[in-house]
Parts: sequence; structure tokens; C-alpha cells
Amino acid sequence: MDWQAVRLSVELALVTWLVLLPAGLALGRWLATTRFAGKAAVEALVVLPLVLPPTVLGYYLLVGLGAASPVGAWLATHFGVQLSFSFTGLVVASVVFNIPFMVQPIQRAFEAIPRDLAEAAAVSGLSFWQTLWRVELPLAWPGLLSATVLTFVHTLGEFGVVLMMGGNIPGETRTVAIAIYDRVQAFDLAGADRMALLLAVASLVAVAASFFASARLTVRR
Amino acid sequence: MTPLDPQPATGEPQAPGPAEPASLGLQVQVEQAAPMPLSGAFACAAGEMLALVGPSGAGKTSLLRLMAGLLRPRQGRVTVDGEVWVDTATGQWLPPQRRHVGLVFQHYALMPHLDACDNVALSLLHLPGPERQAQARHWLDHVGLDAAQQKRRPAALSGGQQQRVAMARALARQPRLLLLDEPFAAVDQMTRQGLYRLLADLRRELAIPIVLVTHDLHEARLLADRLVVLDQGRVLQQGTPAAIHRAPRNARVADLVGLQNRFEGRWLGPAEPQGTGRLQWTGPQLAQRPAAAHAAPQQDPVLLVPDKRRLEPGQAVNWVIPGEAIELVEPARRQAGDLDGVVSQVRHLGEITLCTVDLTGPPWARLTLTLAGARPALLGTLDALSPSVGPDALHPVAVRLDTRLVHVMPVRSA
Repeated sequence: MDWQAVRLSVELALVTWLVLLPAGLALGRWLATTRFAGKAAVEALVVLPLVLPPTVLGYYLLVGLGAASPVGAWLATHFGVQLSFSFTGLVVASVVFNIPFMVQPIQRAFEAIPRDLAEAAAVSGLSFWQTLWRVELPLAWPGLLSATVLTFVHTLGEFGVVLMMGGNIPGETRTVAIAIYDRVQAFDLAGADRMALLLAVASLVAVAASFFASARLTVRR
Repeated sequence: MTPLDPQPATGEPQAPGPAEPASLGLQVQVEQAAPMPLSGAFACAAGEMLALVGPSGAGKTSLLRLMAGLLRPRQGRVTVDGEVWVDTATGQWLPPQRRHVGLVFQHYALMPHLDACDNVALSLLHLPGPERQAQARHWLDHVGLDAAQQKRRPAALSGGQQQRVAMARALARQPRLLLLDEPFAAVDQMTRQGLYRLLADLRRELAIPIVLVTHDLHEARLLADRLVVLDQGRVLQQGTPAAIHRAPRNARVADLVGLQNRFEGRWLGPAEPQGTGRLQWTGPQLAQRPAAAHAAPQQDPVLLVPDKRRLEPGQAVNWVIPGEAIELVEPARRQAGDLDGVVSQVRHLGEITLCTVDLTGPPWARLTLTLAGARPALLGTLDALSPSVGPDALHPVAVRLDTRLVHVMPVRSA
């Protein structure tokens, strides 16, 4: 068992989640509550990472953000940041790849909140933040939970994007999914076995737990 | 004109000038064509209940949202007790949070994740926690929810109880204006009676303007001091229910307030005695009249009705006559001036009886009567008729009109 890879995967999932949660909350709520020209285009962009082959997405990220690209060069000279074949680059790729998994459940959850509740809150004297905290979040909570679990599990298992952007550097970019592939390539099926089982069980438990909690948390109307 | 009199309705855009009287209660004026047309002005004094009535899509709810601050008018002004809530001319705008308005939503808009008590406490966030709960319980007691019900979430409460929670939440704000959006639409008749009583009690103790939106005219007449009749975003007429029913401004208002006996006619000009005029009752075109009309064409009858000196001789008019001005008498007791007709339909609906009478001479019109149980003379006649002749048999009657109650309106090219 490559514990270093497990730890790296969990760290990547945590950081991805931390970055995406506030962004996904803002984007999802905005898409759920506002109507504007070009909304369909924004929604299509949000879903795009879901339908693109991971290798294609990884390829464009590598070409667009790698050291040879203008963005990559600019980041390297001004911040000393290198995105290709680094953990930071992995985080960027993972965040982009997980946008639909975070945004869509949140958007659906906010869409399900009747509009007049926010208006009733405003008339009752609640500010925007009070309404968000006391009315919208408690009602959208199952959606947030499901977005969190999906993002986390999805990050643990992602392969193509990680391989394209990060390669296979132990301790830096070798995640569990890459490690499994690595073990198989080395004919160490027993090692691959254990890690594959770990990943499968962890994913199943997380998704089942979120479904269970979501059913309990959903408020009857 | 007292300061509380409504400003003239509809039509001309009115700029609130400096000569505007010291405004007490609610004053609303709006004039916009988009995003939805809204036009008109009305007022509501403290302690008064005003009903906005009109068909769906007439702009009732939009006006309510305008008053609550959930809708910003393109051009308009709302003041309460002289305080400006919105004035597009000066750019003044008070957000809904700072208006202290109680709004009872059509579907209540209670927070599904909070129990009744917390729902009310939500509008008391300016108070410290324990005080908030105490106040919330006080208001829920006041609207008649017991302690067990106060701990239930909306889904576990009946429609009437949810309505009371919504009312308590609105009142807990200590509103300066209470707005009710179709508040009784979703509750059964028995619950409704209880809510009417609650509203009447509250109205006495609150002494603030109350605006009620309803499409139920019966309810509007029952509860409101004054009506504002709306159609397609325009204020068509306002006044007491009795005044509007007696003298609708035009045919559309007559239809909107459910006046059944509206007819067409031609104004023939003033007559003796002073203050009366001659109205020719023109019925349907000859082609649409029954065959009997072709056999013996006669002149359409001329009625002597009150003249308000607004009409030109020869002008086409609409006119209404209230049900209480129509009397049916046995043909044997027919007098000069009575019209001949047959009772073509009698429908008993509990305490009221719907009755249609077709005239058997010019103008061949159909009259509709809603008879309450308290019309013994007439009901006696009908009851005597119905068993012998069956429910839909044609029974001859003489129709006597009290033409002093006729109200004549010019036909407007809409």
C-alpha cells in the first residue's frame, strides 16, 4: 500500500474542496436565482469538464498553463509558480475538473427553494447574509453535502487529468489512482488490489452516507 | 376633499405637486408601461381596509409588491404617514427590510425548516434571543395557536393554522402597513369565517392601513371599506363597494364587479321632471331576436331614468340596474310600464335562488336575478310557480323596474 499516495490524494481532495466550496456556492446560487442573457452558455461551460475526456482537459490545461505557455511563463517569472508537474498544478486541474460536481447540486438545491421565502425574509427585516445563513443554507444543505461528497470522491479517483498535468512524481503528484496504474505496470497486482479496494470502499461509503444524510436532512414541505 | 380622499383614478399621469395635502396613512401613485403596465393612484387611511380587486393579471399582486418594496417602479411614489418609501422623482428608496410592512403571502411563505415559533421569531432578529421567543409566543397566542401547535413546523399545520402563523409573523414586525395577498384563497369556508373574525379584531386594535388583494368580490365587499378596481394594471375606479355597485364608471367595471344586469341603450336626452332623462333600451339586433319579434316589430321601450347631465342625446350607452330594483309580479297584477317576460330558469342554491327572466317583447333581453332568502314576496311567487310548472318551464311574469336606480354609462371606444 502506497500510503504516501493515499495521503497526497486526500490532501488534494481537501484543498480542492476548500477552494471550490465558496466559489461553487456563489456560482450555483447565482445561476439558480438570476436570469440573464447568455445564462445557457455559462451553464454549458460549467458542465463541460463533465463531458470532456479527462485526457483532453488535462492536455489543454498542460498546454495552456504549462511552463512553455504565456500564462505559465508569466506565473513563473512573477510568482515563481510552476503549474505543470507540481502539486499546485494538480490543484488547479482538480478544481477545474470538479466544477460541475460542486456547482450543479448546489444550483439545483437553491433552485428548489421557493422564491417567496427570500422575499418573506426581506420583508421580515433580514439582510442578504441573514437570509443566506438562516433560510437558504438550511434548506440547501442536502445539496451542499452531496456536492461535497461528489467532489471529494471524484478527486480521489481522478486519473487522466492528473497524469497529463502532474505526471507521476512520488510525494508530489502521484495520487492513489496513479499509484494503482503504476503498480499494475510493475506487475504488482497485489499492491494494486489493496489500493483499488480502498478506493472502491471509501467511495461507496461516502456516497451511501451522503444519500442517507440527505434523505434525513431534507425538510418536508 | 379631505386629505384622505383618493386622488382621481386612472388616465392622466399625475405628478405629486407641492400642494399635496399632509399625507396620513398610505398613498400610492404609479405610472409605468414596462416591465408590466401599472397606472393609477390610491390611498388608504389608518384603520381603513382597502381591497384591490380585479381579474388575474390585473396587477393586484404587483401593486402589493410595489408597496412592500419587492418591486421598484419605473415611475411612482409610495408614502406611509408622510414618510417616503419610494419616490422615483427624487430617487428616494427604502428597501423592504426598513419599511416595517407586514406582508401575508398568498401561499404564506413560511420557512419549512423552522417551527411556528421560530418562523415568527425570524422577524424579530433585532431583539435579544429570549425576548424574541417570548414575543413570538405572544403573537402566536394572539392569533389563536396553542402551545403544541407553536412547536410544529408548517408542514404539520393545517392551512388555516399556517395562515395564522403568517399573520403573526407579519404583526410581530409591528408594521405600519399590513398587506394581505389573497389570504383566504386556500382555506375552507369554516376556517375562513374564523380568519375573518381575527382580521376584524386586528383591524380594530392596529389602526394602520390594511390593503387586501382578492379576486373574490363577495369577500371584498364583506371586509373592505373601499375597493380599488383594477384591470390590465390600471386603476379603473375606486370607492365604497356600495358606490361602485350603484354607479360603475364604465361597462368594464360593471363586469369586473359582477353586475349581471348590464344592458345597452341609447340616450334620448333630458326629460321632465328636472333631473331625469329618457333612455331607450336597445336589445340585440333584430336578426338575433326570436321569431316572434319579426312577426310584430315594436319600438324598444323608453325608460325614465336619473340624468347626471354627462350625456349627449343620441349617444350609445351602457346601463346597469341593481337586482333589488327588479321586481317580478304575477301577470294579473301587471301595470302600465311593466314589461312582459317569462321565467326561463330557476335554480335553488341553498339560501339563494338564481333566476333568469326573458322578456317576451322588445328589447328581448334577459335579466338575471339572485334572490336571497329574505325576499318573501318574490320567492313566494316563484315557489308557487316551480312545483306546478317544473324547474325550467316558461312561466309568464310581469317585470317591474325601479328605474330610479338605473345607472347610465357612456360607451367608450376602448
